[in-house]
Amino acid sequence: MKNTLIKTERLSKSFSSGGAMQHVLKNIDLELYKGDFTVIMGASGAGKSTLLYALSGMDTPTLGKITFGERVISDLDSDGLALFRKEHCGFVFQQIYLIDTMSILDNVLAAGLLVNKDKKALAARARELFKAVDIPEETIHKFPTQISGGEAQRAGIVRALINSPEILFADEPTGALNSKSGLDVLDTLTEFNEQGQSVVMVTHDMRSARRGNRILYIKDGVVMGECDLGKYAPNDEERHKKLSDFLTKMGW
Amino acid sequence: MKYKAFLTCLIMIFFVEISVLFFYANYGGDFYQDAVEVNEAVQSVRDDWENIGAHQNVTSLDYSILDSWGNVIFRTGQGLSESLNEAVVHRDTILDIEINGEVLGKIIIYNDSPQTLWDGRKKSAAVLVFAAALQLICFAVYSVYLYRRVVKPFGKLEDFAERVAGGNLDIPLEMDRGNIFGAFTESFDIMRSELKKARLAEARANTEKKELIAKLSHDIRTPVASIKAASEVGAAIAENEKSRRNYTHIIRKSDQINTLVTNLFSATLEELKQLTVEPTDMKSGEISEMLLGADYFHYAEIPAVPDCMLFADKLRLQQVFDNIFANSYKYANTEIDIKISLKNNFLQIIIEDFGGGVPEKELPLLKEKFKRGENAENVEGAGLGLYISDCFMTEMKGSLDVENGTHGLAVTVNIKLSGAK
Amino acid sequence: MFNRNILLARANVRKAKGQTAAIVVLVLLSSMMMNIWLMLSMDYRKNFDRCHDRLNDGHVNLAAYVVGDDFKDFISDTLDERDDVTDYTVSSAFCAPFSYEYNGGELSQLGVILKKEDALFRNVGRFEITEESDIKSGIYLPMLYGMGNNYAAGDTLKITILGEEFEYAICGFFNSAMVGSHNCNMMSFLMTEDKFEEFSEETAALKSAYVSVRIKDVSRCEDISAELKDTISKEFPEVVVTGNDYKMVSTSRYISQMICAGILSVMAFLVLLIGVVVISSNIANYIQENMQNLGALKAVGYTGGQLIAALIMQFSGISAIAAAAGIAVSYCVFPGVNEMMIAQTGIPYTVRLQPLPIVFTVIFITGVVSAAVYFSAKRIKKIEPITAMRQGIATHNFKKNHVQLEKTSLPLNAALAMKTMFGGLKQNVTVCVTMLVISLILVFSVTSARNTIVDIKPMIEMIAGEFADSAINVNLGREDELVSVLEEDSRVEKFYLFTNNSMEIQHVGGTTLYVSVVDDCSKMNNQSMAVEGRYPKYGNEFALAAKYAKENGIKIGDEVSLKVGNSQEKYIVSGFTQCSNSLGKDCIMIREGYEKLSALLNVTYYIDLAEGTDIDGFNSDISDIFGSDVNAAQNVLSIIESTGGVYVMLMTFLVIAIVIISCIVIIFVMYLLVRTMLNNKKRDYGILKALGFTTGQLIMQTAMSFMPSIIISSAVGIAVSMRILNPLMAVFLSGIGVVKGTFIIPAELCVIAGIALVIFAFGAACLMSLRIRKIAPRELLSGE
Repeated sequence: MKNTLIKTERLSKSFSSGGAMQHVLKNIDLELYKGDFTVIMGASGAGKSTLLYALSGMDTPTLGKITFGERVISDLDSDGLALFRKEHCGFVFQQIYLIDTMSILDNVLAAGLLVNKDKKALAARARELFKAVDIPEETIHKFPTQISGGEAQRAGIVRALINSPEILFADEPTGALNSKSGLDVLDTLTEFNEQGQSVVMVTHDMRSARRGNRILYIKDGVVMGECDLGKYAPNDEERHKKLSDFLTKMGW
Repeated sequence: MKYKAFLTCLIMIFFVEISVLFFYANYGGDFYQDAVEVNEAVQSVRDDWENIGAHQNVTSLDYSILDSWGNVIFRTGQGLSESLNEAVVHRDTILDIEINGEVLGKIIIYNDSPQTLWDGRKKSAAVLVFAAALQLICFAVYSVYLYRRVVKPFGKLEDFAERVAGGNLDIPLEMDRGNIFGAFTESFDIMRSELKKARLAEARANTEKKELIAKLSHDIRTPVASIKAASEVGAAIAENEKSRRNYTHIIRKSDQINTLVTNLFSATLEELKQLTVEPTDMKSGEISEMLLGADYFHYAEIPAVPDCMLFADKLRLQQVFDNIFANSYKYANTEIDIKISLKNNFLQIIIEDFGGGVPEKELPLLKEKFKRGENAENVEGAGLGLYISDCFMTEMKGSLDVENGTHGLAVTVNIKLSGAK
Repeated sequence: MFNRNILLARANVRKAKGQTAAIVVLVLLSSMMMNIWLMLSMDYRKNFDRCHDRLNDGHVNLAAYVVGDDFKDFISDTLDERDDVTDYTVSSAFCAPFSYEYNGGELSQLGVILKKEDALFRNVGRFEITEESDIKSGIYLPMLYGMGNNYAAGDTLKITILGEEFEYAICGFFNSAMVGSHNCNMMSFLMTEDKFEEFSEETAALKSAYVSVRIKDVSRCEDISAELKDTISKEFPEVVVTGNDYKMVSTSRYISQMICAGILSVMAFLVLLIGVVVISSNIANYIQENMQNLGALKAVGYTGGQLIAALIMQFSGISAIAAAAGIAVSYCVFPGVNEMMIAQTGIPYTVRLQPLPIVFTVIFITGVVSAAVYFSAKRIKKIEPITAMRQGIATHNFKKNHVQLEKTSLPLNAALAMKTMFGGLKQNVTVCVTMLVISLILVFSVTSARNTIVDIKPMIEMIAGEFADSAINVNLGREDELVSVLEEDSRVEKFYLFTNNSMEIQHVGGTTLYVSVVDDCSKMNNQSMAVEGRYPKYGNEFALAAKYAKENGIKIGDEVSLKVGNSQEKYIVSGFTQCSNSLGKDCIMIREGYEKLSALLNVTYYIDLAEGTDIDGFNSDISDIFGSDVNAAQNVLSIIESTGGVYVMLMTFLVIAIVIISCIVIIFVMYLLVRTMLNNKKRDYGILKALGFTTGQLIMQTAMSFMPSIIISSAVGIAVSMRILNPLMAVFLSGIGVVKGTFIIPAELCVIAGIALVIFAFGAACLMSLRIRKIAPRELLSGE
């Protein structure tokens, strides 16, 4: 039996755009488990990123309840969510979103110092993580605009993991990268997942999706179906076939 | 830009130096004797004349006092002029000490201008040395600046030009707008990236063309296949060569047209059929508003609605509620009890009055009756019967049930949760 | 082209409503103050001329402490003979020092009493009644005394003349250009005929002649005054002549107007300066933000000039409108200012529309704003359309990594604030300029408050000269007796000779100076009056008013000839003094020096009494001892209070106005800066929020990023202002003879005010940053 990390009950999210209500998520009942590499797939506009942001406390749901561990986060205010996020969640964005006016290291430390006041230990952990994602020491003193997209995204992962979050959220992490850098980033995520890090990733790319052990397919704001790839080895052809069958069934 | 600032800076320093020197030259100091001090010396000596031995110098001047015989009777220090002749040679100030119109002696006030002049020269030298040092520093700073901003970047540019010439367009030219070549290097880099972009665009355009052709050929393949099949059958049963050819031709054409027309219009036809009920997503919160709107006599207390997202047509749902309440007002005219709860994939709303209900056998007819339109009384009011409400609910993938509850007639409206299968 | 520019301008304004509002407020404040200043300086003083002309008042007025008809004949003959005199009127009057209550203190002033019936029909120097009651027998006062809580018709005036007390019913108030206020060196009362006759029988006051003379060349009024006095004293050596002239009166009645105008002008320019800085930083920011749009517009075919013209039109249009609004506000405020001014000038003024200041204000402000816009928008010309469209906001970032988080010992939020600060140089410049200006204003307010409102002595020292608790004037014959009485009285702490009852001395080749005679200058209370050099010590020295010396090119150490009557002596100038009592025409001598020229008729001793002594009681004790030999026993402190009252009121008003304006300026500047910053860094704030920074932390970061420049510039501003304030005051008050400011600068108070300023600015920054709440991390959503 897997441990439930996040549970949603009738999670719905609506936006009003130009006077008209747009309902992006509808009555989603979902459980995410510890240690999983959950992949949320779907066509663009299906609501996958909205789901991710609601799950991660980046945004409040319009309706419904989200329980993270023991804690109900759906009724926290924005500051409460901020305090929750800094301790429990890590984020990787499609647009990477490193702050241009700070060096790579400072970008990471700015996130880390929010939680951990021990500067030395923190810097040590940052260096360890940088090493794990293959970013050399001289690069970490550069500015985000001076390094390649792949490096920046891996730095983004370091930033996300600096506080050892219970779960890492990745929103199309390879979307803005070329295929080589994308692979590096995916490898990094897989590696961390293998070490026990729970990951939730949104993607619309099948190659990225293959990395997950649990695939959720979202269509029109509803979880249409899910597929368990956990029992196949990473490079097993069966894994690929099962996923592609699943996606075909879902109308991909 | 920085270059300009630097130049302005240099010019400003130059002007500051010039003005410092100018002021120094023109307002170098006061070589005049301080008349007030001298007066103070003279007056204090005059006051003390009777007891000159106890006289104290209250001024900053140096002086000696001679009596009317030329003897020194007081001096403030060594090295002062002690006779009138010495005083004249040294350009000292000589004044009479006069009391009641009688000259009793003379005061010789020491001329310190040679010393002042000497000090002035030293000061000039110091100022000049300082100015020269300042210039030197400016020059040194400028040289370093020139090296870093001009000589070094130029070296970089050389490498870049070689690479571009060799066809390597991937490595950007590191640039710094601050330096003198900023704009220059920038345009180089723009040139490089424009070249690169052009190449990429060309490649993309080619791929797209190929894809389009592939798609078209797939579309064309189908009619081509049927042409093939039909012409084979036609050819087999035809009596003569000519009709066989025509037959094949006609079938082929009509098939093709039929397919194209079907494809073209099927979507539009579907839309035209389904204009009546258009369910969309809505928040469950809106239900209470609707119930409140339908229950204009306020017979019911509307309970809290569980948060969820519903799949319904707002306009039609409101009509359904209006109808249910209108019926209740008409036949029962009692208080109304509403229960709302989530049941599986539906939001269940039970609206029950206290009118005792209807005979069991009429129950199944309720929804039917109106179909025939026999009961004109019921059709007026909301203008819609339960039958139409039932239709609406079915269209919304929900349902409407009528039964006898504990107190009266209970109408159950099931609204589908959006997203539910 | 014109229309297109209007379209562009309108689009810009709509996009930046807040910024526009802030600029409007700054310009409005500036134009309001500028217009009031111009109205005060361009027209207000002319009002004196209008009043002077209407009453056909004299340019030179003399009051001679005499006497018979032979004097009147003599003065008539003398004036008839002079061809530079156009007209004159001689009236009989009484002349004496009066003392009476005013503004809660006692005022002592040399004055003339005229018969009301005569005064109203004088050919030259007419009086006009401004308020009359049905009381037919009594006294008329200058209209100045009818203002505030002083006197009203029907009240009783208690007046002490040469030690005798009189009481009169007040019939009403009058206006006179030359003798209508205690600021004129000479003032006047009018008595109804019956009271005048009654007074002439009862009083010991000398009958005298009051002469008003109109002359051809007004600029020579001082010389003619001196010449006339000289002529009189040659013919009648025993006659004491006192008087005033056009220049002196027109200046001294408008001191408060001058101070107010001066302060307003400086404030107007400072606020405009802040406005200009804000506009330039706004434009710089606008260009950076709209680089791509500007590039696109250029690509479409707009020239750089057109784009700049649109900006100029936008800002100058807004400024012109704001300036017009400011002028409208100034007309609403002006009646209040006017009332305050009248309390000091004592001449009624009707507020009316003045086109010239309006035109000047609008043109000047619009011009300055346009120039500022032009210079800060010049950069647009250099934008290359393709580069701009391609790059937009600077993409290449090779800045130094300020405040490395790994190494800094600052707490996280402070460190991030520092990073922000180093990133925004333009904002720092704006902050610095604003805070420098505001701290100058603040130091001025605090110092003014300290030197006038809290304790007016420094102000009096600077503009009025010597003071003590009591001043007693006795005839020369009883001087020794007075000295021994004072020596024995335990209440007396210190006393010294300081005789200055309008004794005049002629500077050979110059004008008449008022001399104060002192026995020992080191005993004087106001040592700061000697602004250069020192007080005289010996009989052949004297200290001269700095303003007069500068005007006449006299230096310390020069030898100057002075004469009284027919005796003449040479004196060395030992130092310069400042004092506005005689508008910078006075000098100080020691007794030995003065007695070379003339003997003293009576002597005044300035006396400092022990803490808590009843001054009036002491004065009346002395008066009892010496009886009629006491010419005057003044409570100097009380005089200071009564004359200073007007200035206290004026300064209180100015300080409050200044503080309010400063607060408004700070709030709007902070609003602009924070707004700009939030616009520029919206994405960064979103990221930080996503990482788990709370709104409170981000607000603190933003506010803190302004603090270094705020603190440094406030500290520098306050330190510098504390140094330059006195010289600055001297410039303001130079018109009334002040050459060196001697205000006490209250260092602790300034520091406290500075801290309050910093806290206020911080609070304003926090308040303005509240907008951060609205930034949601959701905006970082990938694509949906």
